[in-house]
Amino acid sequence: MEKHDMNGPGLRLLKISAAGVRGIVGQTLTPELITDFACAFGTYVQSGLVVVGRDTRTSGEMVKSSAVAGLLSTGCTVVDMGICPTPIIQFMVRQLSASGGIAISAGHNDSRWNALGFINSRGTHLNPYEGEEVLDIYHSGDFTKRLWNALGKLDQKNDYLPGYFDRLCDFLDVAAIRAAGFKVIIDPCNGAAAGIVNVFCERLGCQLVPINNEPTGIFPHDPEPRPRNARQVASIVKPVGADIGFLLSSDAARVSLVTDVGETISEEYTFPLVLHHFLGRKKGPVVTNLSTTKTVDDIARRCDCPLIKSQVGQSHILHVMLAEDAVIAGEGCGTVAVPEFQPAFDAFLSMGLILEMMARRRKRISQLLNELPRYHIIKEKIYCPPEKVHNVIDEVRDEYRRETPDLTDGVRVDWQDGWIHVRASTTEPMIRVIAESNHKEIARERADRAISIISRVL
Amino acid sequence: MPRRSSLKVGISGVRGIVGETLTPQLVTTFAEAFGTFVGAGSVVVGRDTRLSGEMVKNAVFAGLLAVGCKPIDVGISPVPSILIKTNRTDAIGAIAITASHNPVEWNALKFVGRGGLFLNRYEAQELLDIYHQSEFSLVEADAYKPITKDDDPVKEHFAALLHYLDVEAIRGRNFKVVFDSCNGAGSVFTPRFLEVLGCRVVGINNVPDGLFPRNPEPKAENISDLCDAVKAEKADIGFAQDADADRLAIVDEEGRAIGEELTVAIAVKHVLSRERGPVVVNLSTTAIVDRIAAEFDCPVIRTRIGEVNVAEAMAANRAVIGGEGNGGVMVPAIHPCRDSFVGMGIVLQCLAEKRKTVSELVAELPRLVMVKKNVECSTEVAHSTMTVLRKRHTGEGEIDTRDGLKITYPDGSWIHIRPSNTEPVVRLTTESPFPEKAHELTDRFAREIASLC
Repeated sequence: MEKHDMNGPGLRLLKISAAGVRGIVGQTLTPELITDFACAFGTYVQSGLVVVGRDTRTSGEMVKSSAVAGLLSTGCTVVDMGICPTPIIQFMVRQLSASGGIAISAGHNDSRWNALGFINSRGTHLNPYEGEEVLDIYHSGDFTKRLWNALGKLDQKNDYLPGYFDRLCDFLDVAAIRAAGFKVIIDPCNGAAAGIVNVFCERLGCQLVPINNEPTGIFPHDPEPRPRNARQVASIVKPVGADIGFLLSSDAARVSLVTDVGETISEEYTFPLVLHHFLGRKKGPVVTNLSTTKTVDDIARRCDCPLIKSQVGQSHILHVMLAEDAVIAGEGCGTVAVPEFQPAFDAFLSMGLILEMMARRRKRISQLLNELPRYHIIKEKIYCPPEKVHNVIDEVRDEYRRETPDLTDGVRVDWQDGWIHVRASTTEPMIRVIAESNHKEIARERADRAISIISRVL
Repeated sequence: MPRRSSLKVGISGVRGIVGETLTPQLVTTFAEAFGTFVGAGSVVVGRDTRLSGEMVKNAVFAGLLAVGCKPIDVGISPVPSILIKTNRTDAIGAIAITASHNPVEWNALKFVGRGGLFLNRYEAQELLDIYHQSEFSLVEADAYKPITKDDDPVKEHFAALLHYLDVEAIRGRNFKVVFDSCNGAGSVFTPRFLEVLGCRVVGINNVPDGLFPRNPEPKAENISDLCDAVKAEKADIGFAQDADADRLAIVDEEGRAIGEELTVAIAVKHVLSRERGPVVVNLSTTAIVDRIAAEFDCPVIRTRIGEVNVAEAMAANRAVIGGEGNGGVMVPAIHPCRDSFVGMGIVLQCLAEKRKTVSELVAELPRLVMVKKNVECSTEVAHSTMTVLRKRHTGEGEIDTRDGLKITYPDGSWIHIRPSNTEPVVRLTTESPFPEKAHELTDRFAREIASLC
């Protein structure tokens, strides 16, 4: 049971967290709310320079105008990058030595949503403490209010791609990738990466076969990189003779892939694949979250690298990555961050590293995947109104109390042959159940056990 | 006296001090209310040159987009051009971001309906009701429209002007003109207009940076720089605009400010000489207008102060010309709104057709002396003072109480006394064929009001 009618009565679909604020346009995400949050952020960065960019969602201009008005009123000068993938916004924050940035995108959420994602001066998402501070300012309403002659200025910038791709190409083995002459399918879902994937492929000497590559914000499928959304890509792999296919989220933070034989690969394996390659370039601590496949544990152990697990959530994992001086971090949803490049989840970097792996190892992606230990993973989400979440998690905890659960983030239980994680989503009104095991039936059984408890409460 | 609120919400829009009461959130909410009021269509958004304009504009966009409107961004624009564009395109309304002649720390929203007219009292009240109820027609993502940029705010305005004026006659004279646009919206567009009319143009105070170099009201006491420049340049004429380019004052070839009241008078004479019909002005406008209209056998209808009031009466009476004595010329053949450009065009055309200088044109007009004076008086007392005055002076002459108190004496002198909406003063406007009478009336009433306040 996955989808639920999100338009039920009394439903408040608004998610406020350290990462920012996310809601449904026309319902919970109102312009005044956005302006208030932008004022809080502008106050927090003490009227410094703020970079603003957005994905292609139709509500993007509204959210941007609200945010810009708020920022200018607090005295922040704003550099408006227009439609821009989130990792490139983050890159520009550091390039311009800005005090922070705002990325306007709801990532993998469907087109009804939009969101503000706050970025700090280091070009990474706010950590939980920074996020708390912004929220405190928001709740107090105590915003900096500049007079007419001390407002911020608004500038536009749209010539940022060369700088970003120069840096990316420095970081990758472009010669090897170019020599391989890959044919690559990319589906940016008509999101922020539309048109930019052309530059990416040109710089890496790949031949691009684009799908859904118009920056219209009309999503032909949910902008969530995962097998169910990869059918279009999969269907043309063989006919065009592609070496690989990629799906991107609307903000170009997440990636999932389709192999040269047209197999749609779970987004769970994006990070393990990149990890497998990257630890060969550089060893060091690895960070993931409590809901990621055991494949990651296996790879880290194989390379003798410590693995640290954080709470689920961008702000948590990136914070731990920086605190632990990790060389790489990633989540089961298809994100990868390499702090040596930039402390941000970056689909261009992910794609680049995968292509680099294919080029250097001279192997097809389907072969490379076979080198990874793979498990059966089942991911379910059950609709749960916010007021019932606490009860549900309590019941689940109670159910597993004799099995030494990890209660850092919801309930996680590990066995010899697998694990299960039940937690509340921070981006949707859902309870997520993820079960993994060597054996499909065991994973299914465990998932069903959790789901039945949840259903009982709801 | 208690501190007056720095937020003014009323039928002419919403006005406040940026950083105090005029916050982006307030602006956005008003824009949502306006979009809900006019419906989800194209809405022209233009602004004056104030530094806070960019911030306010973004807040306006946010509100309009959220209720499904399609903002047409014309950027910095004269106010009459915004109104005319709204009327002559498929826009269903407009928001003008301007605080007119208020000091630089203010900004404001003025709301315009489908026909390109400021909202009347009833429409404005409906808008306020929507605002107060906070029931806005927020739309979902799939109903959002994009912002469109329109880089030619004056396109429809200038097309109408060039059609109405005798361009060839004016071009033939190659007038030398100095203009002072108060670093406002006229800075960019006035030279363009005048050059099309074949003028040699010199501009002062023409940097559109929103830093007002003088009091924006184009009254004689505020435009001495222009007077000096006209003399220095040996120009044929000088034009002073306010920051929105809707009001106009004229300086003659000798560098003398002729008085802002005469802008409308000259326009009335020109229009009636071509087309007879009713004339509409407000209660404080010079009676020179009445004398001119009498020469053409045309009636004059007087209204309460305020452009909207004059425009409504113009429509109701099918007026051929109208305006306000503060330099606001309204020519319905172009659009029933105050428009410094139609004023400039008409004056230049008069000069061209009659082959006269400005001072000669002025010499042809009936002569009356006007005195304007403000008396300090708190708002609470001001209104009761009107009642006292009315009772005391009934019987002296014709009494009109539609807007404060106006007394017209048998010898043609008149005095208009009215509390200000914007400051704690009572405004006295007096006019008489006899200079001593004008001053005597002013002083006498000023003393009387001071004693009551």
